[in-house]
Amino acid sequence: MAGAFRAFFGYFFLLFIVRIAGRRPGKQLTPFEYVLVFFMGGLALTAMVGNDMSLTNAICEIIAVALAHLLVDWVRCKSPVFARLTDGTPLLLLSDSQWRPETMKAMGVQDDDVMASARESSVFTLEDIGTAVLERNGEISIIKREQDL
Amino acid sequence: MPSKPLTTPVQDTVSKLDNQVAIGEDLGFQRKWWKFERAAWVMLALILLLDITGAFGRGPIAKARTRAPDGSMLIDYERLERIGTPSMVTITFAESAMKSGTVTLYVTDGLVQKLGAQRVIPQPETTVLGHGGLTYTFSASGMPGSIEFDLQPTSVGPHNLVVQVVGAAPVTLNIFVFP
Repeated sequence: MAGAFRAFFGYFFLLFIVRIAGRRPGKQLTPFEYVLVFFMGGLALTAMVGNDMSLTNAICEIIAVALAHLLVDWVRCKSPVFARLTDGTPLLLLSDSQWRPETMKAMGVQDDDVMASARESSVFTLEDIGTAVLERNGEISIIKREQDL
Repeated sequence: MPSKPLTTPVQDTVSKLDNQVAIGEDLGFQRKWWKFERAAWVMLALILLLDITGAFGRGPIAKARTRAPDGSMLIDYERLERIGTPSMVTITFAESAMKSGTVTLYVTDGLVQKLGAQRVIPQPETTVLGHGGLTYTFSASGMPGSIEFDLQPTSVGPHNLVVQVVGAAPVTLNIFVFP
């Protein structure tokens, strides 16, 4: 039973830490994120398993984590406030040829991150970007500037 | 019985930029969140600092030393322990603790039940159960000399442990075990 509680606690604690660790831009995991994911996962595993390495404990803890995830998902659907707490909101990085320095600094985004996403969207200069949005999953969406007629 | 409709009309629920692009940004919320994030990091840094100092066990603050009022023994232990993490209690006896070539030591059973005493070094000549604890007898040729209990706590929370050289003044150790 203690294992299930540890798993619950571990899930919510990791959720909290990952949430405040912030979003990093990019579709793929950078070495930073790899280190974070594997290190945190490994350390959480040690505390969650403790000295009970039985199959029973593993099954119960997996179920506990799955239920915790289901619970978070359910509350997210019911409560927009909770959804914002867990996921944040999309954030404007650039619009009308103006950067949003406050957002960029707080989210650790640089102009070359925006430009990298722009190139993927076949936009090749910063001037051609109409709007750049940091999405909740860390991706940067680029909306091309409408050409002046 | 009416069933739930398969479709519902699309409403303008996502805020727009310049009334054109639906983004759903909420900078007011985000500013509050950034403030919370900063406070959370300060708190986490503080927790880490406390951990380094041993406030949660395994550090300088956790270590303690106490002497019996009559000077019969000196006990080195960790007042802050962690569950399942090995630690050691060292008891150094003074000359007054020795009687007829033996030292007889009484400890309450919390030592085994709560603090998970794994072994005692050196091996006692006898171990007697009773009076809510264990009484160990060690043969001794001269003092000072010391014994060690290897612990691996099994129970979270505060524990009081009474240690006494039989016939001398008892010592109470207050130990807190973190989860």
